[in-house]
Amino acid sequence: MIHKERKITGEYTVEGCPSCGAAETRKYAPGDVLFGTAKKCPSCGGTMRIEKIYGETITY
Amino acid sequence: MSVRRAPKTHKPAVRSGMASSGAAVYGMAACRDEWFNLESDMASLVNFTDIGIDEIFSTGDDTSPLLMLIWILPIILFVFYGQRIQLYVTSGEIKKAIGKLDGYRKETREELIGYVRQNMNPKDDPTGRIDRFLEYFTIMPVDMDPAGIVDKVRHTVRSREDRIREQVRMIAPDASDLELSKAQTLIEIATSLQMIYRIVNHMFLTAKKQNNYPLILPLQMILPFIMEHASAMREAVPAFKAGQPIGDGIGPMVVGRMMLECEKKEAAFQTVMARTEYEGRKLILLKSKGPDSTVGRPAEALEDIASKEEIDMIIMVDAALKMEGEESASVAHGFGAAIGGIGVERFQIEAVATGSDIPVMSIVVKQSVTEAITLMTGEIAGSADGVRSQVYEMVLENTKPGQTVLVIGVGNTAGVIQ
Repeated sequence: MIHKERKITGEYTVEGCPSCGAAETRKYAPGDVLFGTAKKCPSCGGTMRIEKIYGETITY
Repeated sequence: MSVRRAPKTHKPAVRSGMASSGAAVYGMAACRDEWFNLESDMASLVNFTDIGIDEIFSTGDDTSPLLMLIWILPIILFVFYGQRIQLYVTSGEIKKAIGKLDGYRKETREELIGYVRQNMNPKDDPTGRIDRFLEYFTIMPVDMDPAGIVDKVRHTVRSREDRIREQVRMIAPDASDLELSKAQTLIEIATSLQMIYRIVNHMFLTAKKQNNYPLILPLQMILPFIMEHASAMREAVPAFKAGQPIGDGIGPMVVGRMMLECEKKEAAFQTVMARTEYEGRKLILLKSKGPDSTVGRPAEALEDIASKEEIDMIIMVDAALKMEGEESASVAHGFGAAIGGIGVERFQIEAVATGSDIPVMSIVVKQSVTEAITLMTGEIAGSADGVRSQVYEMVLENTKPGQTVLVIGVGNTAGVIQ
């Protein structure tokens, strides 16, 4: 029987600034939801938004 | 001829010296030759160390009785006991899989109980009640007379969902809707794993009990697929517990992004809608209400909207299971209602679309069953912007200014707000 196991090796959150387009990737933190508000934009001072939450996987 | 036969049939007598009296009667030389030949014949019969490879494998012309036995015995063995041998060999493999399934269901049950205890502040120990949930079964309506079967199935499934939701609320009356939806999804996963384990175990034990190899064959064939699904369900648990977006949430993710700046209102149970405009077209956006772990009731919402205003086109965005060899996160367009589940929602959408002559188009993002129910992969998340552009393109190409398009983001909206 061939059955490959898959494991998530990292969970990430991508924050983006709707005003200036700046983006930043960090480790996922509990409570993050897609399109939720994030920290202040380091470039323009606007409020950043969570644009993506994703996992990196390996198959073995 | 009698001279030759006598020593062969009475070998011990020849060896014990009877040959000397024979020699006196028939002549010493002839007897000596005969004895010599006989002894070498006997030696080749008795001395097995002299058997060559050629003889064993019968590369010469002679057929060895030993060789015949070597070939014939296994044939006889396999003719009469072949199925039983196969049953024993296959059994080991299936036993391992059943062991894994048993582990999955126990782990999931423990995680569910732990989740309820830690996050939902239950008024008493939830173990007994949760164990009862795991034993729940659903009896589908009789389909001998298929007329009205969809309504009956919908009623049965909705009753089950509502009942479990109420029961979970009774365990933890202070829990939020978000926690409630997560617990309900975890119960569904735990119940499914429990059911899979039971069915596989039952089929295996029945085949063993009856010593019936053909009975175990279908199980052996389908087991890799069952294990893939079971493993996916086990892997899905952490994502649902954390409230993270899953691969199936790509539809709600695309439509949720489109309705970010719009005013939202409830369109049906656990379903929200928003209105916007694009190049002179009116867009009605519909998705399940996030960040709860729910798929909402898009068909009910569509029915309600279609009864109040004219819709010129429906576009559905959903995740679809990819075929083997297909790229994960590849996007495809098609016709018809892209929505999974038991078929009740699709039936309802098709009925409304047919009744009002509304074309239904779909955009799907392909993924494996594991990707669909575990934390969204980078590739799937990365396809969202492209899919949104394709929705707008589809609107432009298929409608005229002033027309109304309903865009439905289908899927579980866990971890995706709007």
